Amino acid sequence: MTMTEIASFILLLTGAVFFFAGTVGLLRFPDVYTRLHALAKADNLGLGFIVLGLLLQTSSPATALKLILIWLLALAASATVGFLIARRARQNGIVPWQSGDRP
Amino acid sequence: MTISLAGVRATLWRSALFAGLWWALTNGRADSWGVGGVSILAAAILSLRLLPPVPTTISRIGLLRFLGFFFIQSLRGGAQVAWFALRPRMGLRPGIQEIPLRLPEGIGRVLLTNTQSLLPGTLSVELRGNRLCLHVLDIEAPTEAGVRHAETRVAHMLGLQLEQP
Repeated sequence: MTMTEIASFILLLTGAVFFFAGTVGLLRFPDVYTRLHALAKADNLGLGFIVLGLLLQTSSPATALKLILIWLLALAASATVGFLIARRARQNGIVPWQSGDRP
Repeated sequence: MTISLAGVRATLWRSALFAGLWWALTNGRADSWGVGGVSILAAAILSLRLLPPVPTTISRIGLLRFLGFFFIQSLRGGAQVAWFALRPRMGLRPGIQEIPLRLPEGIGRVLLTNTQSLLPGTLSVELRGNRLCLHVLDIEAPTEAGVRHAETRVAHMLGLQLEQP
């Protein structure tokens, strides 16, 4: 394996760890708001690492640009959709979970 | 629609941006530029409709500093939430906090609201007037200081003046 391949492998693995953590958060966190935190932040970071890992494997500038675009679009979408879901939840009167409540 | 210098500049920049996107999406195939030209034109017209050119000056140093801030903070945010999710006792102390913004109305506030959801421990829930409502993972954390820092970065990048909240 070359250095580039090793670096790519490490980045992809790191990305997978963050996706895994985001999914665990989605399952374990107690309410809609805390789950949105897990999805928006951990998945954004996971995707960022995976895109970086894949960038090391491509030699085509068009493919590289496409990968970066995917990440930027996912970033904008997850922030906006997270905001919209949280706002709707609050308008519908869903009270945020507090420590001390049953999970 | 009167033709202004800012309008012409915005049209050229945006068309160049869409042309770059088309090039990336088609892997630079030469025979696709017929459809591409029409699409680029349509996208440019639509974008001018949806977001008319405003005379904002984006400071380059401000942009770089914002991006640096954003990358470091989103790394911290992702790591923090991953740590909360994976440790045996999660120890969440969530709550709602409302913070009056110093940014003027407009694109700055929208950008801050979106950014805030990706920064450590905060999720934007509502933006009403100048009041940003955040859901925080740890009610004891210094949330307001974080928002103030992000505000400063956004204002510096977009050349906006911060108001008294």
